Amino acid sequence: MELNLYLLLTLLIALLVIGYLLAKLHRVRGQLSLIKDALADIKNGNLNRRVLARESDLTKQICYDINEIAMSSQSRLIQQKQSEQAYKRLMTSLSHDVKTPLASLVGYLEAVESKMVTGAEQEEYIRVAMEKAHHLKDFVTALFEWVKLDAGEQIFHFEVCDLNELSRDIMADWVPLLESHDLIYEIEIPETEYMTRVDPTAYTRILNNLLQNILTHSGARQVTLTVTETEQQAKIIVADNGKGISAADLPHIFERMYQCDHSRSAKGNGLGLSIAKELVSVHKGTITADSILEAGTTFTIMLPKAL
Amino acid sequence: MSDFVIETKKLTKIYGEQTAVSSVDIHVKPGRIYGLLGRNGAGKTTIMKMILGLTPITSGEVDVFGQNIKGHEKRIYPRIGAIIETPGFYPNLTGTENLEIFAKLRGTPRPNAVKNALEVVGLPYRDKKLFSKYSLGMKQRLGIANAILHDPELLILDEPTNGLDPIGIAEVRKFIKDLSVDRGKTILISSHILSEIALLADDIGIIDHGVLLEESSMEDLEKKNRKYIQLQVSDVPKASLILERQFHVTDYAVQDEHSLRLYDTALDMAAINKALVVQDVAVISSQICNDTLEDYFKQITGGEGIA
Repeated sequence: MELNLYLLLTLLIALLVIGYLLAKLHRVRGQLSLIKDALADIKNGNLNRRVLARESDLTKQICYDINEIAMSSQSRLIQQKQSEQAYKRLMTSLSHDVKTPLASLVGYLEAVESKMVTGAEQEEYIRVAMEKAHHLKDFVTALFEWVKLDAGEQIFHFEVCDLNELSRDIMADWVPLLESHDLIYEIEIPETEYMTRVDPTAYTRILNNLLQNILTHSGARQVTLTVTETEQQAKIIVADNGKGISAADLPHIFERMYQCDHSRSAKGNGLGLSIAKELVSVHKGTITADSILEAGTTFTIMLPKAL
Repeated sequence: MSDFVIETKKLTKIYGEQTAVSSVDIHVKPGRIYGLLGRNGAGKTTIMKMILGLTPITSGEVDVFGQNIKGHEKRIYPRIGAIIETPGFYPNLTGTENLEIFAKLRGTPRPNAVKNALEVVGLPYRDKKLFSKYSLGMKQRLGIANAILHDPELLILDEPTNGLDPIGIAEVRKFIKDLSVDRGKTILISSHILSEIALLADDIGIIDHGVLLEESSMEDLEKKNRKYIQLQVSDVPKASLILERQFHVTDYAVQDEHSLRLYDTALDMAAINKALVVQDVAVISSQICNDTLEDYFKQITGGEGIA
C-alpha cells in the first residue's frame, strides 16, 4: 500500500518534469524557428531585424548576440552612408559657393578689359575684383583644411609648451589688426607658466578663427580674451559685445557651411567655427558658445591639461 | 526585401453608413519617415489601427514587411512598435515597472532594454514617481519608450506630439528624426499640422475625408515651395556685373553657364530685363517662382486647406 503511493507520487513527479521539459522544448523550437527567419532576413540585408528573447529563454544569449552583430553592422553602414551624403552636400554647396563669386569676378574683369569703364571707375572695378578673388582664395583654403580635418588626414605635432606664452604671442599679432578696426580689446593672461600638450599651429588657428569671426560678423566694439587655469584644465574665453547670435542659430553655428546670415551675400564662408571645433576636439577639449542678441557672444574653450 | 515596409491595397473602413477610409493605397519605404497628413477625423488613426489589427478591415489588404498581415500576425507584430491614442499603462506603478512588464511579455533584443529605452526619451530609470502622477509630456515619452523597447524595425506613431509644449515637441521631433537617420528605422507618423510634417517626413500622404488625395516625396513637394526668380541669360558674368553695379543685388546664386537665381522676388524685373538687353545681354527667359506649400495644399484639398 505504502509502496504503491510512493510509486504513484514518483510517477506524477516524473510526468510533471516531462511536461515541463516538453514545454521548454516547444518554446526553444519556436525560438529557433524565429532565429532562423531573422537570420535569413539579416542575410538579405535587413540589419534592422531583431530577435526578441525573454529573461527565462535558453536561447537568450544567442538572440542577444545576433542582435548585437546586426546593430553594430547597421550603425557602421549608416555612418558610411551619412559621410557619403555629407560629401555630396559639400560638393553641391561648394560648386555654388565658387560659381557665383567666380562669375561676378569674370564680369568685373571683362568690363575692365573691354574698356567699358575708365578712370576711377576702372580702378574701383579692379579693387572689387581683387576683393572677390581674395575671398575665393580664402574660401578654397579653408575648405581644403576642413576636408583634411574631416577625413582625418591632418597631421598634428603635439608638444609640451607654455599655453600662456603661446596665447600672448597670438594676441600680439592681433593687436594691430584690432586697433585698425577701432576695436577696444582686453586681454587677461596669467603671468605664470602653464605647461600643457598642444599643437601650437592648431591652437593658433582656433583663436584666429574665433577672432576673425568676431571681426567679420559681430560688429562688436570690444573684444576680451581671458585665460584661466586649474590643475586639470585651461579655460579660454573669447567674448565680444556685438550683435549676438539668435537662439535659433546658436545650436548650429559649429556646423559646416552654416551661416547665420541666410542671404547668399554673406561674407564669411561658414567654415571657421566648424574648423575651430574640430581642432578643439583634437585636443580632447570642448568649445561652447553663449549669446544674447544685441549684447554679445561668448565662446568658451576648455582644454584638459596633459603632459 | 520587398520595396515597401507597408503597402495597403484599396484599404477601406465603413462604420455603419459612414465610410471612414475609402480605398487607400499607401506605400511606406524602408528607412524613411512617412507622414500621414490630414485634419482631425480625416481617417489617419483608422488607417493605422487597421494596419495594426486593432480594428477589423472592411475591405482591402495590408502588407507589412512584404507579407499580408492576415495569418502572419504573430510574426509581424513583434517587429512593430506603436503608439495609438493614449497608451495603456498601470497608474499605480512607476514608469520603469510598467516597461518591465511589457519587456517580460514581449521579450527584448538585449539586456538593459528598459533602461535604454528610457534613456532615449529622456526619462529617469528606476524613478519612484507613479505613472498616475506623470505629466502629459512624460506620459507621451513613456509611450514612445514603450514603442521602441523591443527595437522594432517599424514604428507607427499616431500624433506623437499631441499635447506637448513647444520644447517637448522639438525634442520628440528630434528623436524621431534620429531614430530614422541614425538607426535606419522606418516610421509612419500622423499629424494634422503641416509644418510639423514638413520638418520631419521624407514622404507624405495627404488624407481628406478618408481619401488619399496625394502621395509624394518631400523632395518633390519642396519644388512646389520656392521663392526666387530664375533668369536665363546669354552671358552670366556680365549679367551678374550689371545686377551688382546697377541694382545692388547681392543675394543671388549662379546655377550654370546660362542661368542664375535671384532670391529677392520683389525686384523690378522689367527694369532689370531692360538694363540687361540694353547692355547686350540676351535674356532668354525670366520666371518668378513664388509658390508655398500651403497654397499647394489648398489647391489639392479644394480650397479648404489642411490644418
